Amino acid sequence: MQTTTEYGDARECIQAARHNLRQVKRLLSQPSAGAADEAAALLRDVEVQLGCVAAVLRQNGSKPDLELRSGIEELQGEVAVLARFFAEADKMFSGWLRAIRVRRGGYTDRGQAAPLVLVKKLSVEG
Amino acid sequence: MGSLFSALDSASQSLQAFEQAMDVTQNNVANANSPGYADQVPELVSQPFQTGTGLTGGVQEQTQDSRDSYADQAVQQQLSLQGMYQQLQTSLGPLQSVFDVSSNSPIPSALNTLFQSFSAWATQPGNASYQATVIGAAQQVATAFQQAATQLGNIQTDTNNDIQSTVAQINQDAATIQSYNVAIAKNATPDAGLSAQLESTLENLSSLTNVTTLPGLGGMVTVLVGGQTPLVIGTQVNDLQAVNNTSSTAGNPGAAPTISIVDSNGNDVTSEVTSGSLAGLLNVSNTVLPSLIGGGQQVGGLNTLAEGLANSVNNVLEQASTTSTPPYQSGSPLFTYNSSLPAGIAGTLAVSSTITGSQLAAADTGPPVVANGAALTLAGLDSSNPGPVDGQGFTQYFSSMASSVGNAAASATTSASAQSQLVAQAQSLQQQVSGVSLDEEAIRLVQLQSTYDAVGKVVTEINDTLATLMNMIPTD
Repeated sequence: MQTTTEYGDARECIQAARHNLRQVKRLLSQPSAGAADEAAALLRDVEVQLGCVAAVLRQNGSKPDLELRSGIEELQGEVAVLARFFAEADKMFSGWLRAIRVRRGGYTDRGQAAPLVLVKKLSVEG
Repeated sequence: MGSLFSALDSASQSLQAFEQAMDVTQNNVANANSPGYADQVPELVSQPFQTGTGLTGGVQEQTQDSRDSYADQAVQQQLSLQGMYQQLQTSLGPLQSVFDVSSNSPIPSALNTLFQSFSAWATQPGNASYQATVIGAAQQVATAFQQAATQLGNIQTDTNNDIQSTVAQINQDAATIQSYNVAIAKNATPDAGLSAQLESTLENLSSLTNVTTLPGLGGMVTVLVGGQTPLVIGTQVNDLQAVNNTSSTAGNPGAAPTISIVDSNGNDVTSEVTSGSLAGLLNVSNTVLPSLIGGGQQVGGLNTLAEGLANSVNNVLEQASTTSTPPYQSGSPLFTYNSSLPAGIAGTLAVSSTITGSQLAAADTGPPVVANGAALTLAGLDSSNPGPVDGQGFTQYFSSMASSVGNAAASATTSASAQSQLVAQAQSLQQQVSGVSLDEEAIRLVQLQSTYDAVGKVVTEINDTLATLMNMIPTD
């Protein structure tokens, strides 16, 4: 009886973390600052849930548990996808910003995209 | 009266302009879901007062294409990378089944049986049944290697056929783009429908190979492969070709030649193909498969393993004796292979057709003489240190090959999954950018980039935590 419930909490935490990661992947398919913020909050939850797994394992001692291990391995796969996504997204956004800077300010004397300065503008209609 | 007619004429022109604007809007609505269609913005501008003709102002319709070339290129780049990773994922799948590390897969299973049969034979070297078991197990090993070589050969053939068909698709897309260029050149005014079809074809082409598009005269596009090799210039198409690079196998007869991509002038442009499904196929055909089954510059892991196994076993048997008392009789080699084709060793590995059980030499003539010394050496060959194949045991060497194939496949799967999201993002940005001011766009992108930067750091921490958790759970 003890054996079946020993890692119960840890498994639940892993399941919750996987659910959150799936949500994060879905959110990041639509780029918006709001979606990114929401993804960040979910990822912080994932961190807490993984901390819970670590605490349970420390408390109960680590025993071979293939199901838990495979759950963590799958989670690792999801995280690898996210890590790669962020690395590539960074490149993509940098490219976008460079293109916009060139269009707004042209090139500097050194051939680089001119810095983009955001100014307060007032539009008056009527 | 002149001024009255002028006023009526002007009013009529204004009405026509509004009608055209209505048509543009209607066209936008009708094509909302058309692939590659960019929103057309009807813009109404004042017509200057012309004293000479007596025109009294009015409005004139000008259609402005909201297509953003950078947004289009961002989508094309991401599609190109997605094409490559998806192709790698597809092509590496069959390789994983050949290099399966589980004990049920043919080569590890046959090796295991062979070394078990050596152990059993060592207990009773003169036992005809054990000798026959050794020969039978060796036969299984040879068959497993031959099957793996055949499977890899088939994968090589399929991959090369895929390369040919992908190049044909690229040329077909290039011809389609050229026909759009011809149509665009004939049109006096920009045609949103043509532009949409062109964009759709360019996206399809991008998933096949990495292309750069440059605006040409009168709305036509120039398409370059890898930013250098012209594929379409205006109304001219320069077809690509996939050819066997026969010179690549000069130093390694029997190896499958590498595939080169050449332009219409015969120049080798293979190195310029860096993404798209063609790059994935070239990687598998020219790099991954030669590392396993051999190519122009290498013998291939499977052949190295087959040769190492055959030589190690044969050396022990040939130095041993079939009798443990003089006169000593040297043993016969168990395995044969065609040594003149280094890249075909695995495919030609066989058990010597003339060997019989009594020709298997079990005795080590020493001194001291050990009646089952050679059989014991054979039984421990796989676990000897250093191992007989590049310092590794046979099973360990096979596992290393399987591991490298598995890692490449896993990496391709991860990348393909991440790339799907990036394509979705790029397409979403492409949709959003139409009609949005560059200032707004810049603010949004800076916000996104900084948030992504922060979220990316959280992901790194989660990754570290997962690694710690993995270490906390023992495997057995």
